[in-house]
Amino acid sequence: MTIELKGRIDSNNASQVEERIRGELQGFAGGELTMDAAELAYISSAGLRVLLRLRKQYADMRIINVNSEVYEILDMTGFTEMMPVEKAYRVVSVEGCEEIGRGANGTIYRIDQDNVVKVYNNADALADIQHEREVAKLALILGIPTAISYDVVKVGESYGSVFELLNARSFSKILSTEPEKLDWCVKEYVDMLKRIHSTVVPKGKLPDMKETALMWARFVQDYLPAEAGEKLLRLIEEVPHDDHMIHGDYHTKNLELQNDEVLLIDMDTLAVGHPIFELGSIYNSFQGYSEYDHSVIVRFQGLSFEMGRLFWRRSLAAYLGTSNEKKLREVEDKARIIGYTRMIRRSIRRKGLETEAGRAEIQLWKDELLGLLEKTDTLLFSRNELEVEAVDDNLPTVLGFIEQHLEAADCPLKAQMQISVAAEEIFINIAHYAYKPETGKAIVRVDVEEDPVRVTITFVDKGMPFDPLAMEEPDVSLPAEAREIGGLGVFLARKAMDDVSYQYKDGQNILTLKKNF
Amino acid sequence: MLNIKKTVENEKACFQLEGRLDTITSPELEKELVDSLDNVKELVLDFEALDYLSSAGLRVLLSTQKRMSRQGSMKLVHVNDTIMEIFEVTGFTDILTIE
Repeated sequence: MTIELKGRIDSNNASQVEERIRGELQGFAGGELTMDAAELAYISSAGLRVLLRLRKQYADMRIINVNSEVYEILDMTGFTEMMPVEKAYRVVSVEGCEEIGRGANGTIYRIDQDNVVKVYNNADALADIQHEREVAKLALILGIPTAISYDVVKVGESYGSVFELLNARSFSKILSTEPEKLDWCVKEYVDMLKRIHSTVVPKGKLPDMKETALMWARFVQDYLPAEAGEKLLRLIEEVPHDDHMIHGDYHTKNLELQNDEVLLIDMDTLAVGHPIFELGSIYNSFQGYSEYDHSVIVRFQGLSFEMGRLFWRRSLAAYLGTSNEKKLREVEDKARIIGYTRMIRRSIRRKGLETEAGRAEIQLWKDELLGLLEKTDTLLFSRNELEVEAVDDNLPTVLGFIEQHLEAADCPLKAQMQISVAAEEIFINIAHYAYKPETGKAIVRVDVEEDPVRVTITFVDKGMPFDPLAMEEPDVSLPAEAREIGGLGVFLARKAMDDVSYQYKDGQNILTLKKNF
Repeated sequence: MLNIKKTVENEKACFQLEGRLDTITSPELEKELVDSLDNVKELVLDFEALDYLSSAGLRVLLSTQKRMSRQGSMKLVHVNDTIMEIFEVTGFTDILTIE
């Protein structure tokens, strides 16, 4: 049963309103009672008491079409927690609006210069919208720059959430109109990806991507030879749990440049897990979905298949910190296993087996997947990034990690020691001073370039801004008695490296050591 | 990881160092030195098996040198090229006696 609330309800008319409502309720046996507040302009505490009494009698009462002023009153007084209260939704049309993004659950349109709306595919999307808001808030708190929706609107039969996004351009748009910015786009794209992957998510806040991937694999298993299916499942099961964030749909339409700031959007697929799952989904965005039909990426990303391939490979190289073709191919193959598994399931569930083109596409992915399964024994790959608590005791772990990468790059022993000595100074500085009097995390990254060989070691911490390079250089010509203890470490690092630089960016101290050989 | 082999005879002490002299291991060496140098007039540090030295190690060498200058002498032997370069860059070749 629905009852309309109109005008103002305050101490002057509350008892009349209650009388009217009780009159309308005569003969109502119980069940769902809906208060339609579309024309309710104001409600005072006298009016709220009326609602409370009704609610006591009718447990299934809800209030709908509440305007924002009334919603605020209900929210402040705790009514929104006591009973279902639905806001009145503004109606927005996206006819003729530019599509600026498209994700698994919806499409994003620009509705005016300052605002965009994400229209959800699912008609019953309120829960999804709520989820995405929560997840975006969580990401923002954890330090990921993103936009949070401020309003929920009706778009035709669907719901949409509205975000402020001023003068923003997606990376897809930048890549397609200014291909000379490829290097810059790759760098920003990979920086953001690393930032996501180095963010630890409190337990239970986000779904576990490994569980999702296992679900895909169990589905796809039925369409593979028994042995291959079992291997697929085993490979995924052997990926260790990882509580770092992954975006889940990280492509260039979901990265926006707003003024000079890079923003991540479309947060509803956020999860935790090993980065191989992310790489699988990235591979699909730029390659997998378009492998059979090269025009898919043109439609979804506005990029050519060739640009997609170039962007993927360059980003992978930057992410892994290596330009070694064999290593890149190895990690790409692991990512493809996840990618194909996901696409095969998705296509079959979307009735792909019922059309000739669909069957051909699934066959292609399946053949590739079977080939990869045969030659792959693990989905893990060595990462060039290590996150540790910055304390003295972790020095051997950090130096061991760096030396392992240097050895793999055939770095001469002498240079290895010079790099280690420099790295020790920087790490110990972070351990002693960055988070004083407490301790915190440090991230160490090793990038190896070939031709000519150059090693870059990067230290990142989120402690107090501090530039160790700004310290005065010690006078190394003084006799022993006049020498101060200290200051030598950074001096040594500078002497032994080809370049040492410091910057403070996004709340992080970033110190970089470079050595050529 | 640092192994310290110490021989003290009368007023002469020899420390053979093996492994790494870094932030973690330097305090161990410093303690050993402080504990044993009271009556020592001649200190030898054998670097033959030492393959790593950072500024934390330099600090111990500097403070030990200051002490030994007051009570006797100190010298380093069998220093490898890489570590020698660190001494050169930091001017320690002028402070220390290196054979």
